[in-house]
Amino acid sequence: MNMLMHELRQNQKTTIIWTLSLVAGAALYLSLFPAFANETAALRKILEGYPPDFRKALGITIDSFASISGFYSFIIAFIMLAGSIQAMILGTSIVSKEERGKTAEFLLTKPVHRSQILTAKLVAALILILITNVVYMISVPLLLNAIAGATIALKTFLLLSLTLFFVQLFFLGLGFLISVSAPKIRSVLAVSLTTVFGFYTAGILDSIIGNTAIRYLTPFKYFDFSYIVKNGSYEIRFMVIEVVILILAITTSYYIYMKRDIRST
Amino acid sequence: MKVIETNKLTKYYGKARGIIDVDLGIEKGELFGFIGPNGAGKSTTIRILLSLIYPTSGSAKILGKDVVEFGAEIKQDIGYLPSEVFYYDNMKVKDLLNYSASFYKKDCSKRIQELVEIMDLDTSKRIDDLSYGNKKKVGIVQGLLHNPKLIILDEPTGGLDPLMQQKFFNLLKEENNKGVTILLSSHILSEVQRLCDRVAIIKEGRIVNVEKMSDLAKSNYSRFKLELRNPIEEGLFTLDGVSGLKIENNSVSFMFKGDINTVTKIIASIDLLTLWVEEPDLEDIFLHYYE
Amino acid sequence: MNIVLRELKAHMKSLIAWSVGMFFLVLLGMVKYSGFAASGQSANDLFKGLPTLAALFGVQSVDLTTAIGFYSVLFLYILVMTSIHASLLGAEIISKEEQDKTAEFLFAKPVTRKHVVTSKLLASFINILILNLATLVSSVTVVAAYNKGESATSTILLLMVGMFFVQLIFLSIGMAAAAISKKPKLAAPAATSLLLATFFLSLWLDITSKLPDLKYLTPFKYFEAKTIINNATLNPLYIIISLGIIAVMLIAAYFRYSSRDLSI
Repeated sequence: MNMLMHELRQNQKTTIIWTLSLVAGAALYLSLFPAFANETAALRKILEGYPPDFRKALGITIDSFASISGFYSFIIAFIMLAGSIQAMILGTSIVSKEERGKTAEFLLTKPVHRSQILTAKLVAALILILITNVVYMISVPLLLNAIAGATIALKTFLLLSLTLFFVQLFFLGLGFLISVSAPKIRSVLAVSLTTVFGFYTAGILDSIIGNTAIRYLTPFKYFDFSYIVKNGSYEIRFMVIEVVILILAITTSYYIYMKRDIRST
Repeated sequence: MKVIETNKLTKYYGKARGIIDVDLGIEKGELFGFIGPNGAGKSTTIRILLSLIYPTSGSAKILGKDVVEFGAEIKQDIGYLPSEVFYYDNMKVKDLLNYSASFYKKDCSKRIQELVEIMDLDTSKRIDDLSYGNKKKVGIVQGLLHNPKLIILDEPTGGLDPLMQQKFFNLLKEENNKGVTILLSSHILSEVQRLCDRVAIIKEGRIVNVEKMSDLAKSNYSRFKLELRNPIEEGLFTLDGVSGLKIENNSVSFMFKGDINTVTKIIASIDLLTLWVEEPDLEDIFLHYYE
Repeated sequence: MNIVLRELKAHMKSLIAWSVGMFFLVLLGMVKYSGFAASGQSANDLFKGLPTLAALFGVQSVDLTTAIGFYSVLFLYILVMTSIHASLLGAEIISKEEQDKTAEFLFAKPVTRKHVVTSKLLASFINILILNLATLVSSVTVVAAYNKGESATSTILLLMVGMFFVQLIFLSIGMAAAAISKKPKLAAPAATSLLLATFFLSLWLDITSKLPDLKYLTPFKYFEAKTIINNATLNPLYIIISLGIIAVMLIAAYFRYSSRDLSI
């Protein structure tokens, strides 16, 4: 418990800054909805001229596209990108910082098991990400109303917004694994930013080309927003992939950390 | 039951040597010194005892329990002061001490208060703003605040002024009088000489010798120093028991162990200016082991 | 010169890793193009008609079915990656001395702070230049391999010149952040936060025609692939702005670093 509280305290400032930035970013993007809505009227017309198969390939359905849920499902991709960076940095630093900051000799000479240390850190990271998401989920519907002048069906909103949480979990798990296995990494930022942007770029390529095998590789594509809007659910296949990856990342992390030498200096 | 017991403890970092076949047995209530030059393997041994790193082969037990298997449990009773202290950012001294105390299953607040007073620490200051010596003091307090049964110190005195060093050593002796076992690793001999009852000497990863401090100091070594009127023949002092022989112009010095009469007979045959026969200090013995 | 050499050596591994990374980014991106070129004609038409939609997919007023058009989508992310490299390099090359406590070593030597900054600037300059050239060579060869139309080499060359200005901007911002900040740990987070903020601003500007003047605030808008491909030149105004930002940042870095207390 003490370690958990300590981690929460150590990370509270950064989490507050990230959370505020995410909400503010969402507000800025949402403010574009009124102008966007005007344009979609023309868009609809053009889209109707295309064969349905093609629309499907692009991941666009006419109905969803012109609505607030359609717009929101586009901008959540950007918020997800930012949120992923937050989660990845948090995961990558939370264990490795002890050895870099040479506090490992303090923490690991206390009467606690290494597994307890990892658990405390993992739970702390999870709570911090959860806090970010709760604040986001509460404030964004209000912003939607105030800025975009629209309301979104609660279920659709929750399903879309929860993808932020799931993608964050992916990067948290990945970062955690890196943190445990490569404590020597000098720059958490370099690793985190390039990894997240790498996955994001892969996702963009997939968007342009249409559904490809890349979908399985990048968490940014595990959640097809138009599918979510249309069906009111996630694709089970990708949820399973995500869960499997998370379990693998975390069990491997424990396994590595229990066995590894803690090298100071 | 020995407080610390290692059995053929060996650690390799990849191919690089850490320690080889280290056998140590430290009894309850001992003030045990661990001495050797930089890179000899002192810190490696200590880090294995604290299960920061794991042995390649061999085993180590503290209070009868294997360090790898029961690491967490054992540490309930260990206080550790590393050679370099780095602590978390943005924490005040008292935050860190409370955080440290929160790991132990007892109330440490009274002991913290005592130690802070002895060490003359300002607990409301931020750790980042402290000087090196003051950070070290924080390290001492956080290592002792839970009344450990075993205190492990790795090159502890760097950065402390002599007065503080004295206070710190008194503190350690006080703890020792209560039955606490202390393992002090150092390359500074006088430090070990002042404090310890027994000492293990480590060299290139292997324990060279374990001796009582009193035996070590009172060993039947004698240091001879002679100044002569005339140069002597080279081979005059080449005999059993002589070591560290140095002949420079008209002065000769060496260490001797054995029947003193054999030396005095030789000396009687030369024309002396002066002669010193001294008990060797630890420094001499130490160098002797490292030859 | 000894400091420059020391820094070049210290960054060599990371520079090689970055260069290889850029090569793979270009390669893997363009591999996908080969599959797309055949079937993508209709998507291309769709994006052309709909600027907002195109923006959301990261493509704007370029012909996606050409190799260079497809490359232009990738270019934004190449630009982001090299900018991350430059800002982290700038921040860390200055702040690491204080963080690793090597400042006590370095500044006990007979050198001025200005000399140190100049040496580190030179070393960073060489680093980002090499990364730029590595990206250039990777891009030219990979795009040429897939290209069926006219040569894209001159366009890529222009894009890389533009990218070099952006790299320099972020390098100078990183160095300034580290030189100014009294807490060396904050330099890299500050520089990358600014980078992310300007990146998200540029995404925002892509989907709106509101407040177009904000584009001066984000270097990601200075040398956009679509304008460079369509106009075949760099906009001199943005070159001037870039040079201005770089100059201001470097002056601030020199001035502050020479006058402030080192945090040890």
